Amino acid sequence: MPPALPGDVDLTDSSAQSRSRALNQFLASVELRAFKIAQAGLRHEDDALDAVQDAMLQLARAYADRPAEEWKPLFYRILENRIRDMQRRRTVRGRVIAWLPHRGEDEDEEPDPIAQAPSPEPQPVKRLELDEAMEALEKALGELPRRQQQAFLLRTLEGMDVAETAAAMGCSQGSVKTHYFRALQALRAQLGELYL
Amino acid sequence: MSPVEESATDFERNARTVLEESVQRIDARTRSRLNQARHAALEAAVAPRRGWWHGFTLMPAAGAAAAALLVAVTLWHREPAGELPVLAAQSASVEDMDLLTDSEGLDLMEGGDGSFYEWAAAQAENGASDS
Repeated sequence: MPPALPGDVDLTDSSAQSRSRALNQFLASVELRAFKIAQAGLRHEDDALDAVQDAMLQLARAYADRPAEEWKPLFYRILENRIRDMQRRRTVRGRVIAWLPHRGEDEDEEPDPIAQAPSPEPQPVKRLELDEAMEALEKALGELPRRQQQAFLLRTLEGMDVAETAAAMGCSQGSVKTHYFRALQALRAQLGELYL
Repeated sequence: MSPVEESATDFERNARTVLEESVQRIDARTRSRLNQARHAALEAAVAPRRGWWHGFTLMPAAGAAAAALLVAVTLWHREPAGELPVLAAQSASVEDMDLLTDSEGLDLMEGGDGSFYEWAAAQAENGASDS
């Protein structure tokens, strides 16, 4: 499989190989942002990775034959369903665990050295500003109702228009506008008009 | 500039900048795992799909396993005289089959939540000793 480059998907060639390459490009172009969106919803890195992986698998298995322009809303629809399933299961699991005797979490686990490795980062002053802004935004996003959070992230981070966002969220365009507007209001109220 | 960006306020543009920066900072381990997940998905997409008859090829093995399980459960749960042993064994085996075929049960096992089963076994033993 050739390395994937984010960008436009070639829709002209209908051969299976070209289709696979197009799907590879599409998934490579959305996977990082999808992970951030899943992480915002689940607040757990491994769960977010699982959710993205499941969404990729389901899209590839069930919808690879669909026109490529439908992939993005389909992918995010699947991802959102997966996030909701995981949130529900977590709730049920929490209720079961509440009945069990307390057990210390991950006491024996050593920190993963790869996970601890720093990523390429900007200059220190700019980095500090971004760190603070990022922390504040992630905290504020975490406090939004899920639908508002989803509308905001799909529109702002993924750059989807209202129609695409509505398809991904499985609701009307009017609902998307309402969720997005309320998300903006709540975030502005928490972060200020210009927080960066 | 996309239509979304054209009409965006400063706040939205700033939020986008911050979110994109957080995407750029995703660590190498996570990127690697996402890359692996993508390739696994693509392999699943190109793998030949199994026909509906494929399930029947596994039926002899599944049948043998179910029969062995039924025999084991029957022997394990020998009831004292006074009850109908066949009916008791059948009801026990049906319950066990439900547990084995329940996908949520498998999920709990995969999640390594063995303490739940220890607790459930202890509850069953207590119930038996109480009665």
